[in-house]
Amino acid sequence: MQQDFLVHAPDDVVGVAVHDIEPGPAVRGRVQNGAAFELAVTQPVPLGHKVALRDIPAGEPVVKYGVVIGRATQDIAKGDHVHVHNLKGERWT
Amino acid sequence: MSRTFWGYRRADGRVGCRNHVAIIPVDDLSNAAVEAVGHVVQGTLPLPHPYGRLQFGPDLDLHFDTMIGTGANPNVAAAVVIGIEPNWTRRIADGIAATGTPVEALSIEGLGDLKVIERASRAAAAMVSDATRLMREEIALTDLVVSTKCGESDTTSGLGSNPTIGRFAERFTAAGGTFFFGETSELTGGEDIVADRITDPEQRAKFQRLFDEHQRIILEQEANLLGSQPTEGNIAGGLTTIEEKALGNIQKIGNAKVDGVLAMAERPTRRGLHFMDTSSAAAESITLFAAGGAALHLFTTGQGNIIGNPVVPVLKLTANPRTAQTMPEHIDLDVSRIITDDMTLDEAADLTEDLVVRTASGQWAAAEILGHKEFVLTRLHRTA
Repeated sequence: MQQDFLVHAPDDVVGVAVHDIEPGPAVRGRVQNGAAFELAVTQPVPLGHKVALRDIPAGEPVVKYGVVIGRATQDIAKGDHVHVHNLKGERWT
Repeated sequence: MSRTFWGYRRADGRVGCRNHVAIIPVDDLSNAAVEAVGHVVQGTLPLPHPYGRLQFGPDLDLHFDTMIGTGANPNVAAAVVIGIEPNWTRRIADGIAATGTPVEALSIEGLGDLKVIERASRAAAAMVSDATRLMREEIALTDLVVSTKCGESDTTSGLGSNPTIGRFAERFTAAGGTFFFGETSELTGGEDIVADRITDPEQRAKFQRLFDEHQRIILEQEANLLGSQPTEGNIAGGLTTIEEKALGNIQKIGNAKVDGVLAMAERPTRRGLHFMDTSSAAAESITLFAAGGAALHLFTTGQGNIIGNPVVPVLKLTANPRTAQTMPEHIDLDVSRIITDDMTLDEAADLTEDLVVRTASGQWAAAEILGHKEFVLTRLHRTA
């Protein structure tokens, strides 16, 4: 059961790379204890970093563990690397 | 979880897995004498630190609680307390003695370092002789108080190592064990999830009060915390926001209910899962857990935190395959196959349980082998 990234919860809009991912049309993902699927990845995503599972417009919440972890600070396209350049927390700001 | 380990049962019934003779300075001035005793008498554990003078109010109370709790930790067979002045020295020694732990108190004013070193060394030598005569006995694993904390976390912590501890915590507390977690600031964004788990309304109110107070202090600084929280290491590992870090953090308690809420260094009065108000800095929080009575610590890391503690063995787990490969001398258990392959949380929790039994029975943790003894006191405010 090999995969390139894992997703914590079914509603999450990001997955987590389990090794360094290169851009490609069919990167393998799996929801933890759930279904496997493929995603076209647009940018390199290092081990442990997040990849967008769908388009996330600027200002929209980013959900991981089924919970909001912050908001997109710019439009994020499906398959993009998600990190401090396009996601910001709502607390302590 | 009906397993046993080989440990030490102390006078008041609490259970230890190490057998230290601690040499405890009340204050910075007494470090030289404490370290001298450590050189003269083999098998002692000097615990030098930079504080203990001109503190007052809640900050001084926490100093006393931490020093007393450290001396009364079940891994400590006996303690020598050395301070510059007699009253504070006596106060700490009496606090330790109240748990039944043998203790000797010495103050330096009017005697000088050399006489104190001689008297303290004679007392410590007798304590080492007594301590090394004690035999380990078979004890239920759930009589051991265990604490947990994560450090240099990354997203592999939330996916693998923290849920492993969560599964262990579920089993351990269901069987009647006492388990501590903390890191008040690193619950931010997940605090409601924790509050909902606290069964006793009074304890829930105490949690809310401690959490709100910590938030107030953080927000009052009006600082940009990026780089501090999350840390540079967190960000390198892919963690972006404090909320994301908090949600990964609370995986360490699994789905367990929270039975009690503790102030810093406070000892629990019941069994079960306890939140303790702590800093999220590794050395400070483990020092506080140990002062609250934890005898063994489970520490998860993503990017490779190397923390240890002088009084309690600190076991290191990682689910980051790169960290397991690049820093193997620091890692006690590699659970990276959870994310790269198909290891289940139950399998990982089984391995954790085996590791805890072995370590509690005497096997050294990686941090002990490498000499990590980070003993760090939490300060609440400036000195007078």
